[in-house]
Amino acid sequence: MCGFTGFIVFYGAWKTRKTKNVDDYLRTGKSSSWWVIALSIMATQASAITFLSTPGQAYVDGMRFVQFYLGLPIAMIILSITAVPIYSKLNVYTAYEYLEIRFDLKNRLLGSVLFLSQRGLAAGFTIYAPALILSVIFGWELNTTIILIGVMVIVYTSIGGTNAVNKTHILQLSIITIGMFAAFFMIYFLLPKDISVIDAAYIAGKMGKLNAIDFSFNLNDRYTFWSGIIGGTFLMLSYFGTDHSQVARYLSAKNITQSRMGLLVNGLVKIPMQFIILFIGAMVFVFFQFVTPPLFFNSVETNKVKSGSYSSEYSKLENEFELLQKNKREKLREFLNSNVNSNKDVSIELDKISQREKEIRTSAKDLIKKNNSDADTNDTNYIFITYIVNYLPVGLIGLLLAAIIAASMSSTSAELNSLASTSLIDIYKRLINKNANDEHYLKFSKFVTVGWGFYAIIFALLASELGSLIEAVNILGSLVYGTILGIFLVAFYTKKVSGDSVFISAIIAESFVLYCFLFTSIPFLWYNVIGCLLVVSLSLIFNLLLPKREFDKY
Amino acid sequence: MNDDQDKHNDEKPPFLGSWNKIYLLVFGELIVLISLFYLFTKAFS
Repeated sequence: MCGFTGFIVFYGAWKTRKTKNVDDYLRTGKSSSWWVIALSIMATQASAITFLSTPGQAYVDGMRFVQFYLGLPIAMIILSITAVPIYSKLNVYTAYEYLEIRFDLKNRLLGSVLFLSQRGLAAGFTIYAPALILSVIFGWELNTTIILIGVMVIVYTSIGGTNAVNKTHILQLSIITIGMFAAFFMIYFLLPKDISVIDAAYIAGKMGKLNAIDFSFNLNDRYTFWSGIIGGTFLMLSYFGTDHSQVARYLSAKNITQSRMGLLVNGLVKIPMQFIILFIGAMVFVFFQFVTPPLFFNSVETNKVKSGSYSSEYSKLENEFELLQKNKREKLREFLNSNVNSNKDVSIELDKISQREKEIRTSAKDLIKKNNSDADTNDTNYIFITYIVNYLPVGLIGLLLAAIIAASMSSTSAELNSLASTSLIDIYKRLINKNANDEHYLKFSKFVTVGWGFYAIIFALLASELGSLIEAVNILGSLVYGTILGIFLVAFYTKKVSGDSVFISAIIAESFVLYCFLFTSIPFLWYNVIGCLLVVSLSLIFNLLLPKREFDKY
Repeated sequence: MNDDQDKHNDEKPPFLGSWNKIYLLVFGELIVLISLFYLFTKAFS
């Protein structure tokens, strides 16, 4: 683990140490091939959170989270047809540069400030997730771990810029893929000999974990086919079309063909990849049907309650949980061997056991909360890592930890790199120092990369109590993505809407999205739709009402 | 941007011959995946 992680830092820094100018630093001198772009796009999106939270999500809530990605291929096609040719033709360094060309400076600044504020915080999360896990597993001090991971990313990202990010992404995605396949195949070796792969799938299905598609339309249900295909398309359009951490990946391509192919290959690969990760989570669930899982997966909180004044009550719950597990194993074998008629009876008994299990876990969480009011009672993020550390061979543990750290570094490096690009191109070079030479801007880029790195580290040090980490990041993104996407859609598809109209609309839309987040129970995926549609519709209305002036530059 | 650059940018995709076919491939795969996920959910529920 240490060897591979150290090698990535050294390789990234050494291979790209001779970066000569800003174009090389921010866009690799536009030299990347489509397969590098595709790998880099996937590695940027695949953070450590993806590999820690997603299997846990399947364990707790089933595979329905895969529907979140249904809009991604559609978004890749739309962006390949619309955004890629425009960005390429205008030869921009950042997505927000285009907003000034199409509208005006204030829209460019609004887009870049929304991006910087949201992505800066998200970079903190991508460092926090693996640091939290390593600190729990090895007993390392959390803050030291955060600083260590953060500094490693800062080193090679600040030295080599986009080139270092792309080059290390190839290695990082390779180790991630190997690690996940290793975890997947190990589950089948660890299942009891009398449980086949098909049996495991039937058990997962019976317990409601293989619920990959749900066509019901329910606005209060976070993951359905409809929220994925509609809300997901808007979210992915915004993420890949307007979030510079992704746009920077395909702006570094040699030409339009390479950019398009990078995006479209991502469209082909992403859903199967997420399906496999979620299926691993469902199989970990099956594994823990035959091996008693911890009553609560966060061992630090468990140890605290066991050494506190609620120790005896917690032990009673653990004993009952253990007995219930033994009973469940017998019923599961009965279920697999039963015919259609007796199957129903066993199924009802299994449902009762599952219900009692949930009640015991809820009681355990209550005790943990009573014992420590600051305790996080969401243990979703600890499920997969508990399986890795306690049940896989030592070599594989190292491989998977290397994969998790690689995933964290891959997305953090892309985030820091894009934050630096936007800070330089859209803020510093545009507003503060317009006439400096290339060497000065290159130095500033490196300096600001380090600055954003430390900002992310500080946020990671403060982050906690936010429930499932992957959801927290997605919720954070959804608060601003809809508005940004609305601005870009108006820019791409209308010729006569003015900068003033779109700016006022964006402010109103963002305020309404924040209102929805604070005061309604609308699932976060719909914020993307609400924000975007509000910006587009209000822009068209305001454009009719506001006085006309010269604006059509593009 | 000059004509040479435009021409360079309008290259055909590396396989299938046209962009429309590539878009159809990506969209077709999505339809197939949704169908398979539906059958998968039904088969094991």
